[in-house]
Amino acid sequence: MRFPKGLMVGTLLLLAIVVQTTLFGQIRVVVPDLVMLVVILLALTRIRPELVLLVAFLSGLVVDLLGSSLVGLRAVVFTTVAYVAIRTRSRAEIGRFATAIWAGLLTFGGLVLTVVIGTLFGQTSLIGPDIGSRLALVPLANLILAGLFSPLMTRLIDRDTGLFRYT
Amino acid sequence: MLSREPAGRTLPTLITLLVVGVLLMTFDVRSQGAGVVGILRTGTQSLVAPLQKGAAFVVRPVVDLVDSLTNVASLREENLALRAELIELRAELNAMQDLEVRLEFFEQIYEMEAAGSQIGRTVANVIGRPDGLEDSLIIDKGTDHGIAVGQPVVDSNGFVVGSVTTVTSGSATVVPITSKRQGLTVIVGDQEGSLISQPGSELMRLEVYSARGPVLAEERVLTSAGSLSFPAGWPIGVVVEDAAPVVDVVTTTVQPFVNPKTLRLVVVLAWPPDPITAVATTTTTTSSTTTVPGSTTTTGGGG
Repeated sequence: MRFPKGLMVGTLLLLAIVVQTTLFGQIRVVVPDLVMLVVILLALTRIRPELVLLVAFLSGLVVDLLGSSLVGLRAVVFTTVAYVAIRTRSRAEIGRFATAIWAGLLTFGGLVLTVVIGTLFGQTSLIGPDIGSRLALVPLANLILAGLFSPLMTRLIDRDTGLFRYT
Repeated sequence: MLSREPAGRTLPTLITLLVVGVLLMTFDVRSQGAGVVGILRTGTQSLVAPLQKGAAFVVRPVVDLVDSLTNVASLREENLALRAELIELRAELNAMQDLEVRLEFFEQIYEMEAAGSQIGRTVANVIGRPDGLEDSLIIDKGTDHGIAVGQPVVDSNGFVVGSVTTVTSGSATVVPITSKRQGLTVIVGDQEGSLISQPGSELMRLEVYSARGPVLAEERVLTSAGSLSFPAGWPIGVVVEDAAPVVDVVTTTVQPFVNPKTLRLVVVLAWPPDPITAVATTTTTTSSTTTVPGSTTTTGGGG
């Protein structure tokens, strides 16, 4: 039985949101931004770029609505990150290491953008006492996860077992 | 290289979505989280809350394991310190019990009764946090358990945590005082002041206007009767350093007792007490004890 691509992406994002808010919401040592990572990795699939942007916007909106900060903040950030990911994805296809670094850099950019836009809109609480370590550890965690799971996720969504073999 | 569809309309789509996003942010700021945004927030949280509760139940052993592994080095020292503290607290408890007996005795003599300062309490588990940048807590109790927006939240020791900002039937979001922009009216010694969070710091700033004297280090900061969001007398933190009045203003820093990131259990106070919350709290007692093991709703005296 084959799942429709839309259902697959929706399930993946829902899973990312639930795991992000529960498991990684309580473990303080390893804190990736799973939703942002899924959005970034969607740029590597064959899904139409406009749809990737829309999915990024909607998933950011859901994360905003689940929290207590400004509604629209992560929607804007995730959309921007997805756009940059789409424009630069050719650099990520060189190999697994390149994909990991690419995802880590995009996550870092996304976090900085969240803090900057959030501060402009008066969300000073985003700059917590551990903001420095967060800006380093979250991209690092996403970098590792991207290196491990990006080929699997792309193959799963595009239903093409030959993708990202890095031969 | 992978063959994909051309990215022809990507830029117009991006611009459209960014404009919508900025409009949403502006709307949220203007409406202060109320109205349509509030309804959307509650709706989304209601949909995702059951999944979060299920996931929290499944991942709890993993979280406990990781917590134990990261704290293993300091466990021995912590145990020793806790044992010493336990002995002190037992002695304190005995003294308090003596005082309680004497108080009851005098109340009987003068035929006095409690002045109705009972505050309902609902114990709730922290099931998650929105993301790495936010300090908000998601708890597993909601309107079905008598929780309402604005109710104060303390930890299991009675230290102030924050207040409820959004609530669904089965979950609620708590924003800690360290993340709030609004000041909190507090008491230090016999002086009233305002406690404000500071971006990038775990310490909070205390400002005492019309100060009559200095504020000394290690003084406890309590919620004030002048506060509209908290009942009086609940401990918040301690003053970090001495500060003398400049003209008639004292400014210093306060270390809150609670670190929201480490909380696993919180207590929501049914305050201000009114008939609606009182009824809701009474109803909660049964449902909480039957549905969620280890969590109860009890009624006790406020601080």
